[in-house]
Amino acid sequence: MSQPDLESEISAAVVEPLLPIEKKLIGWSLGLGIGLLIVLIVLNQLFPIKL
Amino acid sequence: MSDLAIKVSEPIALRAQLNEDWLAVVIGLLVFALALASISGTDLLGWAVTTSVYTDVAHALTPFAKAYAWLSGGGALLATYAALLVVLSAGVVALGADVRKFAVAFTAVFAIAYGSWILGSYAYIAAVTPAEQQKFGIAWSLKLTNEGGFIVALLSGLIIANFFPRFADWLKDAIRPELYIKIAIVILGATVAVTAAARLNLASSLLLRGVAAIVEAYLIYWSVVYYISRKWFGFSREWSVPLASGISVCGVAAAIATGGAIRARPAVPILVSSLVVVFAVVEVLILPFLAQTFLWREPLVAGAWIGLAIKTDGAAVAGGGITESLIMAKAAAEGIKYQPGWIIATTTTVKIFIDIFIGIWAFILGYIWTNHIDKGPDKAKPSEIWQRFPKFILGFLLVFAVSLWLAVGSSPDIAKALPAAAGEANIFRVIFFILTFFSIGVLSDFRKLWQQGFGKLAAVYLVSLFGFVVWVGLLISWLFFSGFRPPLAS
Repeated sequence: MSQPDLESEISAAVVEPLLPIEKKLIGWSLGLGIGLLIVLIVLNQLFPIKL
Repeated sequence: MSDLAIKVSEPIALRAQLNEDWLAVVIGLLVFALALASISGTDLLGWAVTTSVYTDVAHALTPFAKAYAWLSGGGALLATYAALLVVLSAGVVALGADVRKFAVAFTAVFAIAYGSWILGSYAYIAAVTPAEQQKFGIAWSLKLTNEGGFIVALLSGLIIANFFPRFADWLKDAIRPELYIKIAIVILGATVAVTAAARLNLASSLLLRGVAAIVEAYLIYWSVVYYISRKWFGFSREWSVPLASGISVCGVAAAIATGGAIRARPAVPILVSSLVVVFAVVEVLILPFLAQTFLWREPLVAGAWIGLAIKTDGAAVAGGGITESLIMAKAAAEGIKYQPGWIIATTTTVKIFIDIFIGIWAFILGYIWTNHIDKGPDKAKPSEIWQRFPKFILGFLLVFAVSLWLAVGSSPDIAKALPAAAGEANIFRVIFFILTFFSIGVLSDFRKLWQQGFGKLAAVYLVSLFGFVVWVGLLISWLFFSGFRPPLAS
C-alpha cells in the first residue's frame, strides 16, 4: 500500500458502525479488566511485596 | 518503513518472525553458554571490549578480562566486531538473506553504533556525581551516565534516517532491531536471575505484579484504544485492531499478530508498525528522564511504568536500562546506593508477561472475527496460539531458569562464580542494546508522519498513548510498586 493509496483509502473510507459483537468485546474487556485489577489491588494489599 | 516491508505478505512475515525468534534463541544461548565456561576456569569471552567513562579516548576501551590485557582496547574492539560478524552472518544465512550485503552493512552499523557508545562515555556526557567530575578533572557534565551512549546511538540513527535516507537504505540489510533486542533479552535472563537470586521474596512478588500488567495491557488498554480508533476517529475494524494492539500491547509483534489473526491485509499492520517505532523513539527520549526527575524515590514504580508505557520490546527493555542508570545515579548523588538490576528486571518482567499473551489475544480476536464478523472457511485455530507465541521468550526463560538454579541450587563455588559469568554475557547484552537503539533510530523517518494519510493514524496514537496509556500505566505502577525499593548495595 503506497502513500497515495493510504491517503485516499483513509479519506474515502466508509464509517463502519460498531457491531454488537464489538460493543460486547469492548464492554466485557473493560469490565473484566477493571474487575480483575481491583482483585489484584486487594491481593497486593494482602500480600505486599516482600524485600 | 521500507517499501520492501510493505510488499511482504503475512505468511512470509510470520515465517520470517518465527525464524528470527529461533535465531535469537540460538545466538543468545551461545553467548550464555560461552560465558558460563568461565565458571570452570576457562574464560572464553574475556576478550570482549568494554568501554569506560573517559576524558582521554585512548583509555576508553579495554578487554573485559585482565587475562586478555595484552589485546589492548583496539584489539578487543576488533575481536568483538569479528566475532559478532561471524555469528550474525551465519544467522543471516539461516534466514535466507544475502550474507555479503549483510556483512558490509553490518560493518558500517557496528562502527557507527559502537562509535556512538564510545562518544556517550565521554566524561562531559557521562559523568554524574561531583566525585566523578572531580576524578576526571571536569567542572560540568550532562550526567547521562555511560548508558547515555544508547541515546547517542539512537540520535545517530535518527540523523541518518531523516537527513541521509539513501545511506539509511544502504544500511537496511543490517538494520534488524527485532533480532538484536531478542538476542539481548535472551542474554538478559542471566542478569535477571542473578538479581532475583539475591532477593527471592522480592522477585516472586514481582511476578504477581506482572499479572496486573497483562490485565491492564490486554483488557483495559486495548478496549479503550480500539474504541477511540473506531468511534472517535472512524477507522475501520481492519485498521483499528492492529492500531489498538500496537498502541496497547507490544508494538510491532502485536500489530502483526492480531492483524493477521483478523485476516487484515498484510500492509495494514506493517504501516502501523512504522508508527509504533517512531513513537517508541519519542518515549525513550522523554520518559526515562521524567522517571529520573519525578520517580527516583520510587525506582520500581519507574521500572514498571517504562514496561507499561513503551510499546516495543527493544525500546521498553533498553529504556528500562537507561532509567535504571539515571535513577541510580541520582540516588547515589543523594547518598542512596541501590543494588543494580532491579529496575531493569521490573521493566523486563512487565514486558515479558505482556509478550507471553500475544498469541492468546490474537487467537481470541481471530476467533471472534472469523466466527462473528467476517465469517468464512478460514477459521481461527488454537494452533495459532503457539504459532504466534514469541519464541525468544523461551530462550529468556531457559537462561533465567538455568542461571537461577546455578545461583541457588548448585554448589557455593558455582553460585559465587556466576555473577562474573553473567557479567561477561552482559557485555554482549549491552552491545546488542546499542545495535537495537541505532537500528530503531535508522528506521524512524519522522517525515513519514507528515506525509498525507499518516496524520490521522498518528493522531490516534498520540491521543491514546499520551492521553491514556502513559498515565494509566503510571497509576497502575504506583498502585502496585510504590513504597517498595530495591535492596541497597552492600
